[in-house]
Amino acid sequence: MNCPMEARQGSELLLEYTAGRLEAGEASALEVHMESCARCREFAQSQEMLWQALEGWEAEPVSMDFDRRLFARIAQAPASWWTRLTGQVMHHAVPVAAAAGVMILAGVMLERPAVTPVTPPAQSAQVETLGPEQVQSALDDMEMLRDFNHLVRPDNAEPRM
Amino acid sequence: MGAFAMTLDYDAELMLRVRDGDGASFGVLLEKHRTSVVHFLYRMVQNYAVAEELAQEVFLRVYRSRESYEASAKFTTWLFRIATHLALNALRDGKNERLQERLDNESPDMPARQVSDARPTVEQRMVYQVRLDEVRRAVATLPEKQRAAVLMHKYQEMEYSQIAKVLSCSESAVKSLLFRAYETLRARLAHMA
Repeated sequence: MNCPMEARQGSELLLEYTAGRLEAGEASALEVHMESCARCREFAQSQEMLWQALEGWEAEPVSMDFDRRLFARIAQAPASWWTRLTGQVMHHAVPVAAAAGVMILAGVMLERPAVTPVTPPAQSAQVETLGPEQVQSALDDMEMLRDFNHLVRPDNAEPRM
Repeated sequence: MGAFAMTLDYDAELMLRVRDGDGASFGVLLEKHRTSVVHFLYRMVQNYAVAEELAQEVFLRVYRSRESYEASAKFTTWLFRIATHLALNALRDGKNERLQERLDNESPDMPARQVSDARPTVEQRMVYQVRLDEVRRAVATLPEKQRAAVLMHKYQEMEYSQIAKVLSCSESAVKSLLFRAYETLRARLAHMA
């Protein structure tokens, strides 16, 4: 084997050897060469010492709340123009649709106060996607309608909701 | 080569799923690469708080870029390209201007360093701390690109070709960077042998 230090890519070969990344055959050939080549041996020894020193540099573990902080930032991050556009549309459309749904539902119940307990039909999927403020708003609307029902039908029992 | 291709396919496939709206796949990518990114950035800027802040930005950018993601390169190449870019910017912007101060006087907000021995003596801890500080100082004095190349080569075990893609330079330039960097480090840390 020719001396790697005299070859163009010699240091690369020795670096890979000390990093343990050489294939077994190449590593064996280099070891045989180093037995008789003080220059390569010294290079390998000093590089191995350096690698050991670098290995001693342990990094701290990642903070426990790293993911939580990241997901909070993702949630706050400005969305793409498409998301913003559709979000704005949905922001206005969903409450209107929900309020309309509540009004229709309340109207139907007012007309038929004695029907069996109502399970929210198709609107439920929409309601589940609302924010807390929107849900509160819808509940306020329902409360208002209930009060209104008392006013217009004082002799009637409270409608079943 | 097979393992390389499998890794490429797996990470890229996960990222493609993220692009298609699968948030759970982003969680898998985060779990897989979080530590290596934070540690790389920590060794680059040598400031734990800044490193975590930058790592957050890395993953935030990955997530924000999901819609335009194309699996044209290895995922980790893309990931570390973002990380390196942010680290180099932070170093140039002086975000870690307290680096020297922290090296001289360890900040109390940094976690206690661990040594391999479970019950080190005070003397062992002091020796370890001195050696660690010398290593950190030696790495900190490297030019930024040399530092990045060494960290990717030594700690991330990247191939020359991948480091070249991350640093947007040729493989021969990477070999030159590494040769000069290791030469400097060997000289500076020779007394530790």
